[in-house]
Amino acid sequence: MNRLQKNFLLPVLLLLFFSCSEKQDFSQLDDLSITPSLEASIFFVKVQELLINSAGDINFFTQDFNFDAFEEAFFADRVLEGVILYELENTTSKPIQIELQFLDENDGLLDSEVFTLDAAPTAVLTREVAYGNTGKSLDILRNTSKVRLNASNFGDNSSVSGIPGAAFQLRSSAQFILRLK
Amino acid sequence: MRIQHVVFLIILLCYASLAGQNKQVLYDFNEIPQALMVNPGMETDFQWFAGVPLLSGISGYAGSNGFSVNDIFADDGLDINAKVRNQLVAGLNTRDEISNTATIELFSGGFRSAYSDLFFSFGAYLEMDNIFYWPQDYAFLAFEGNAGQLNRRFDLGDLKTRGSMVAVYHMGVNKKINKNLTVGVRAKLYSGIADYNSTKNSGFLVNTQGQNNLLATTLSSNLRLRSSGFGALRTAADESNLTSTLLKRSILGGDLGLGMDLGFTYHLGERTTVTGSVLDLGLIYHSGDVYNYSLKGRATVEGIEIDVLKELGDLNRDFWQDLVDEVEELIPFETTNSAYITFRPTKLNASIRYDFGKLDGSDNECDCDISSTKTRRISYPNSIGGHLYAINRPRGPLFALTGFYQRRFGRFLALKGTYTVDKFSTTNLGLGVNFQAGPLNFYVIGDNLLSYQNIAASNYASFQLGLNIISWGRKR
Repeated sequence: MNRLQKNFLLPVLLLLFFSCSEKQDFSQLDDLSITPSLEASIFFVKVQELLINSAGDINFFTQDFNFDAFEEAFFADRVLEGVILYELENTTSKPIQIELQFLDENDGLLDSEVFTLDAAPTAVLTREVAYGNTGKSLDILRNTSKVRLNASNFGDNSSVSGIPGAAFQLRSSAQFILRLK
Repeated sequence: MRIQHVVFLIILLCYASLAGQNKQVLYDFNEIPQALMVNPGMETDFQWFAGVPLLSGISGYAGSNGFSVNDIFADDGLDINAKVRNQLVAGLNTRDEISNTATIELFSGGFRSAYSDLFFSFGAYLEMDNIFYWPQDYAFLAFEGNAGQLNRRFDLGDLKTRGSMVAVYHMGVNKKINKNLTVGVRAKLYSGIADYNSTKNSGFLVNTQGQNNLLATTLSSNLRLRSSGFGALRTAADESNLTSTLLKRSILGGDLGLGMDLGFTYHLGERTTVTGSVLDLGLIYHSGDVYNYSLKGRATVEGIEIDVLKELGDLNRDFWQDLVDEVEELIPFETTNSAYITFRPTKLNASIRYDFGKLDGSDNECDCDISSTKTRRISYPNSIGGHLYAINRPRGPLFALTGFYQRRFGRFLALKGTYTVDKFSTTNLGLGVNFQAGPLNFYVIGDNLLSYQNIAASNYASFQLGLNIISWGRKR
C-alpha cells in the first residue's frame, strides 16, 4: 500500500495543490481604455420662406434655445474629442446668413459659427467643426447652456421661390469620443 | 509562488463567473458518500457516515469557454487594449459564457435503517453560482460606439445573466428494491440568500437616416432585471452585521423554495450497470427584499426639432427638456417590488458502467454472493464506462460526455480517471482519489488536469474535496 501511496496519491495531491501558472499581471487593468465613438443628431431648424417674407427686416429670426446636452456630467466629464457636422439647405429665393452662437448660462458668448447661403438654386452647405486635440476647445461645449440662432435675409421680402415648400433648413449631428474608462 | 497560485485560484473561483456543475468524477464513485448528492439512487453499503462539518464536501468551478485569464492578463508586454479587443470584443459571441459555482457542505450524514433496506441521508450545503453570457453588441457599443454604424441594430437581447446564493437543506432515502434495482429520492428545501437574473431581454438600438435631421436614433427596449436579497445584504454590510444577516437568510429566513432529486441504479447483467439521476427539480419563490428594474418602450429621436412655422406660438418652450421628458415617458425606467419565481437549474445524469477483474484474495473473477447480505455491494476492482451530463441553462442546455475508468485497491484506495468533452474543453482529464483509513474517509478530485501546467491559460478549473467518517457495520 505504501508503494501505491507513493506512486499515485502523493503525485495527485501535489498536482492539485502545486499547479503552475505563467506570470500574470492584473495591474494591466489600469491601462484598459474604453473610448467609444458615439453619434446622434443634435438639432434641426426649419424656417419657411413665407415667414422670412413676413418678417420685413434683415434679421428675420432670432431665438435662444436651451441646450443642456453638452453640459450633462456624463458627457462633459468624459468627452475627449469630436466633430459637429452641419448641413444647411436654402430653397428660398434669397441669400441667407445664419449665425449660430453658443452661450453659457449667463448668456455669455462662447463661440459662434456663421453660414452664408446663396439664393436657390444652390448647393447644400456642409461643414465639420472639430473639438478637442487640434480643433476648438472642448470647454466651449462643456459650458454651452443655450444655442442662439440669428438668421438674416440679404434679399427681398416679396419674391417667392419656385421650389415647393421653400424654406431654410439647418441639420446637425455630433460624433464624439467619450472616455468610459 | 505557491501562495500566488492559491490566491489566483481563489480569484478565479470568485470572480470569473458558473454553472458547469458537472461532477463527472464524483458521479457513481460509490466509495464517496457525497456521490449520493449527484445520484440519490446510487448503490451504497455504508452502515452510516458522518461528514466533517464544513469539510465534507467543498467544490468549486470557474471558467469561460471563450477565453482564459492568461489571454488577457499574461505578462507578455502586449497592450491590454489590443488583447481585449481581439480576444473579447471581436473574439466572443453571445454563446460564450463566463461562469462559476462554489458549494460548501455545511453538514451531512446518513444511516441505514435497522428494520429495512432503506438508507437515509441528510444535510445542508451552501451553493453560489453565476453565469454571464457575453453581451456581444453591448461590448461593441462600449468599446467602439455606434458612430459609422448606420442601420446596424445593436441587439439588447444580448444581455443574459443570472446568479444566486442558496442554502439547501435536504433529506434523502435510498432503497434497494431488488438485487438489480436501487432507487433514491431526495427532498430539498431552499433558503435563498440572494438572487439576480436578467434573462428575458429584447430590443435594439439603431441609427438610421433621419426624416428631418441627419440621423434618427431608435431605442426599442424590453429590459428587465430582477433581484432579491441584495438590499438586505447591503444594509447589513453598512451596519456591520453582514454575518448575522447571511446566517438569518440562510436558515430559512430568506426566500423559500422546494425541490427534489431522483435517481436509480440498475444492473443490466452481473457486470453491466446503468444509472441515472435528475437533480434540482425545484423552484424558489422570491418575495422578500425584491427589487425589479425594467426599461420598456420605444422612441425615435432626431435631436431637437424646431419647425418654426409649426412652433410659432410656442418658440420659447424648453425644447431640450421636452425631448428628455418625451423619451423618459416613452421608455420609462421602473422599479417594482413584486415577487417572482425562479426555477433551479435542473441537471440530468446518465451512465453505463462495466465492471471487471478479480476480487482481492480470490482466484475467481468474482465469488461474492449478492444475496449474502442485504447491504453488501459487489465491488469489482475495475470499472469502465460512459457518463452523459446535461444542465438547463438560459441559452439552452449544456451537455458533457465523459468516459471513465475506475480502479479499486481494496477498501483502502480507489482511483477514478475521466476524459470529458464539453463546451469548455476537449482535453479535459480528471482524476479522483478516495482514501480510506479505518473509518476516516478523505477524497480529492481535480478536473481539467492538463490545464494545471498553466492554470491561467485554462478555460476553467474545478476541484472537490471532502472528509467523512464511515462505518460499514459489524458485518464488514
